[in-house]
Amino acid sequence: MFRYTLRRLPSAVVVLFVASVVIFFILRLAPGDPAAALAGPDASTATVQAIRHQLGLDQPLITQYLIWLRGILSGDLGNSYILHAPIAQLISESLMNTTELAIGALVFAIVGGGLIGYFQGIAKRRASQATLSALTSFGIAIPTYVTGVLLILLFAVGWRVLPAGGIGPGIRDFSLGWQYLLMPAIALSLPTGATIARFLSASMRQTLDQDFVQTGIAKGIRPSRLMIGHVVPNSLPPVLTVLGIQIGQLFGGAIIVETIFAWPGIGQLLLQAVTGRDYLLTQDLLLIAVLVFIVVQLITDIVDAAMDPRIRLERA
Amino acid sequence: MTATPTTTALALAPARRARAGHSGLMRGFTTPSAIVGIVLIVIIFGAGLLAPLISPYSPTAQGPDAFLPPSGTHWLGTDEYGRDLLSRVIYGARQDLIVGVIAVPIGAVVGTLLGTIGVATKWLDVIIQRFFDVTLAFTGLVMGVTVAAIIGPGLAAVLITVSFVNVPLFGRLARNTVRSLRSRDYVTAARIVGAPPLRVLFRHVLPNALDSLIVQAALSFSLAVFIEGAMSFVGIGVRPPDPSLGSLLRTSITFLSRSPLYAVAPMVVVTALVLAFNLVGDGLNKGLLKR
Repeated sequence: MFRYTLRRLPSAVVVLFVASVVIFFILRLAPGDPAAALAGPDASTATVQAIRHQLGLDQPLITQYLIWLRGILSGDLGNSYILHAPIAQLISESLMNTTELAIGALVFAIVGGGLIGYFQGIAKRRASQATLSALTSFGIAIPTYVTGVLLILLFAVGWRVLPAGGIGPGIRDFSLGWQYLLMPAIALSLPTGATIARFLSASMRQTLDQDFVQTGIAKGIRPSRLMIGHVVPNSLPPVLTVLGIQIGQLFGGAIIVETIFAWPGIGQLLLQAVTGRDYLLTQDLLLIAVLVFIVVQLITDIVDAAMDPRIRLERA
Repeated sequence: MTATPTTTALALAPARRARAGHSGLMRGFTTPSAIVGIVLIVIIFGAGLLAPLISPYSPTAQGPDAFLPPSGTHWLGTDEYGRDLLSRVIYGARQDLIVGVIAVPIGAVVGTLLGTIGVATKWLDVIIQRFFDVTLAFTGLVMGVTVAAIIGPGLAAVLITVSFVNVPLFGRLARNTVRSLRSRDYVTAARIVGAPPLRVLFRHVLPNALDSLIVQAALSFSLAVFIEGAMSFVGIGVRPPDPSLGSLLRTSITFLSRSPLYAVAPMVVVTALVLAFNLVGDGLNKGLLKR
């Protein structure tokens, strides 16, 4: 197991390194001079020069890149020049909010998607099977921005039971905060939940065809015990793999959902950074997005390998 | 071009397989789900294609009356600047047509070429695989934000994003399919008679890998519609005053209680479009890949 992890690690590190290089150097290709933008239209050349020096933009690109890397490793990310606050603080605050949103969404996705997938997997009648399958296809297809706006239309405008946006008191006072979390979390959970349902039901159908299920039935095991104890666990590996992919992509979904519900998370911060041309903030946030994807991918691969010796022992 | 050495290989199998693939395509297109999908796509993209002819007004022409309810003159009513909503929705669908028709083929061709070349040359394969890994790490909208940060928001950013997102999808698929087909007898036959490796790959293997690439193309169109909508929704895609289904939906949030139809119209169209391509993808998958 440990060996597999060790073998899998270098490629993840290489991808992360290449991504950091791409993010850093390609952002420098963008037109416009952040120092001039920050100084304002009436500033003298000397002022612009001073700002450029202060931001370290007068150093060679390689040096700037190394300074950036050192900053990341030491946790000192400098100041955002559009929001006038330490980047580390901005990121940690919004990352907390996004994590709250993501956990809420994952709970809905796993519970809801798991239940629907389970019932779709054991459904015997053609009609109920077709209905559930249509439901999951729809859940996968409907874009997050449509679900989000639809939820607001239904539960904040039509039937005024939930707040249309904002984070409220958040997790500090969850008795109130959950009302703010409910709609964004559901909107974000839908594609993930539907994907879980589809993979779980497909995988359960394959498992149900296997001989050990017949053996179980023949030995007179209770149906509930057969399903929970034997069929579901044996159907989980493909579901976990796809769940890993989905979690890795949650960042993109968070950008959309946070925009709809004015949720002060990392996606909102990224959009602010990009539209305000804040290089430093943008490159840090993009690196986080890529890092999340790579780490989740790595964990998924390791979990897969832990469950399936064929993957673990394959000579790559 | 020396045709003689490869005729033996050609005669061995691909012709029959090509016919089978063709009927598979027809079988895929005629499954019930695919037919529903195709009808939806023809209606929506047809409207987008013919937008200058069929849309009742210019999508950007402002009128004196804001938020008119639906009527005979404005079927879906008007928006906050008195612009005809139906015309804006039709032109919004046109953006998706543009993105799908331009960006998906670019991504598909580049990805397929890279994936296939990688199979032939070992050292290139390593580089190409890493390139795919890195592009995949920039998932959909994260790629969109990155591109918008470099070249600025706009339709061009959407086109580049959708192309880039599709490269590794087609690349990995092409690579895996080509690798699995390489051990087929007709490929061995072509190699034995001395056809150069790249020629074997592109003339004999790749055409037989087309089935799975076609299914991916349907799904990629759905992804293209999703990404265009998402980028325009969060403000880094199609710029105002040009309409896009995503930006229409975004603006509509401000006016939800006043004019729900403003939100519902783009919602229905964008969902129908994404769903339609998924349905076609499912249908093709059944017809082409499953036996």
